[in-house]
Amino acid sequence: MNCELFKQNVILLVYDELPDDILFEMRQHAERCPACNLELESAQQFRKDVSADPALEPTPNLLAASRMHLQEALETAETARGWRAWVFHLVWDPVDWLRQIRFFPALAAAILIFGFAGGVLTAFKIKTPPVSGIAQIGNGQSAEASIAGIRGITQDPNTNTVQINYDKLLPSSAQGSINNPDIEKLLLYAAHTQENPGVRVESVAILSQKCDEAQVRQAMMRALLDDHNPGVRLQALEGLEEYVKEDVQVRDVVVQALLNDTNPGVRTEAIRLLQPVKADSTVRSAFERLSKRHDNEYIRSESERTLASLPNID
Amino acid sequence: MSVMENVVGAISSPADTSPVRGTMVSQALRRVDDNVLIREAQRGNRAAFEELVRQYDHAVLRLALRLTASEQDAQDIYQEAFLKAYRNLVSFRFECSFYTWIYRIVTNLCLDHLRKKNVRKEEAPVTTMQDGTELSLIDQVADDRSHSNPERDLMRRELGHKIGLALNRLTPRERMVFELKHYQGLKLRTIGEMLSTTEETAKNTLFRATQKLRGALSEMR
Repeated sequence: MNCELFKQNVILLVYDELPDDILFEMRQHAERCPACNLELESAQQFRKDVSADPALEPTPNLLAASRMHLQEALETAETARGWRAWVFHLVWDPVDWLRQIRFFPALAAAILIFGFAGGVLTAFKIKTPPVSGIAQIGNGQSAEASIAGIRGITQDPNTNTVQINYDKLLPSSAQGSINNPDIEKLLLYAAHTQENPGVRVESVAILSQKCDEAQVRQAMMRALLDDHNPGVRLQALEGLEEYVKEDVQVRDVVVQALLNDTNPGVRTEAIRLLQPVKADSTVRSAFERLSKRHDNEYIRSESERTLASLPNID
Repeated sequence: MSVMENVVGAISSPADTSPVRGTMVSQALRRVDDNVLIREAQRGNRAAFEELVRQYDHAVLRLALRLTASEQDAQDIYQEAFLKAYRNLVSFRFECSFYTWIYRIVTNLCLDHLRKKNVRKEEAPVTTMQDGTELSLIDQVADDRSHSNPERDLMRRELGHKIGLALNRLTPRERMVFELKHYQGLKLRTIGEMLSTTEETAKNTLFRATQKLRGALSEMR
């Protein structure tokens, strides 16, 4: 170790960047050489001085604000990235896209069907002569609409013109608060007419939040008694729960469900709902009936237990 | 048991009691944790990415704040760095740690900022004293912590001002190496990796930076 090498490495010594063997040599050298010892002290003092200047620390507020802004930026970037990636993938890498489609037979089939339907529609439009017809009579959306039914066909005896009166279904969507009368009307409609039980469950679940309205409560009661889907009936029960005490009509409907529903889950839930009004004579007689002849062990024992908890009024 | 718990269980054992081994294990765990999170984030799990952000964002913001001396600029760099990381995460190949990778992004952004600042000759807002010395306005903000001593506080501010001036005289790269070494406590090998250079170059840069700083501070004494 010489003084020149010492000077070159002294800062590495101060910042703990030297391997043990060189460190040992330097310490030995500093003990022997007063100038290098001074250099070492000076370097150590430098580190101490700079360390006396406290590093600026980000405040919790700054960190929180930065995180919040980043979150917003990430959300924007995510949306943009999703679309960009999709478009890029589709436009620039159709082979890979098709390769992926190969592994999703349902999607591939759906695309095929849509393609076929699109082709048929296009061909139909091309072949149909642009005479005064569907487009003029309707509102120009016949291509998008499904025909619900033909009401009548008449032909002009003097020409070859035919007039067809038909109904069509137009896909639409509505958005709004559940308190909006139009939305409520749609929900009520969906609750009892829709073929799809999933839609019925959803609409009944939403409507159950506003059972304070007579019309909605009626729809819930109808769903509980008539709907084929036990999920819908359970959802209706949930909505009616808080009215079992105050509304005798609701209570009777729940009793009906307890006695006649085919689903044990619905019957069990009805037992729970009727607990606060178990002293009611109608409810009591329903429990008596079930305790004597019900084929479900649990419901029978629950009915017995409920009756046992009631004071003897005879 | 979660994926993370499985990983942790596989690496650590109750026999790991020595401090060195403990540090090594914690580093290994951190790296494994990061890798799990990165893989999740690469699959599009934004929560995993946000977890990664939360592990490093304090250090990133601190570095940006030190180098820019401006909360607004630090925030901009913070945001740009993590957005870049988010956009390019799919290309992360696990050749270095996420920590090194994000620091590389941040240091590049900070270097750009410092270079632009040097071109514009931006300075921190300063005030001139009666004796002609200039003091940074930022340094004049009183330290009202209960333990502070007014005399010591004044000396601290003066020293801070001198160090600030000396640091501003460094080239952006020297400043960066010094900041990473002195204030962030990183090893020169890591600094070299972050700045896409060798450990030897980082050593030389640190040497030049400290020489300049020592010279500047001794002039100011």
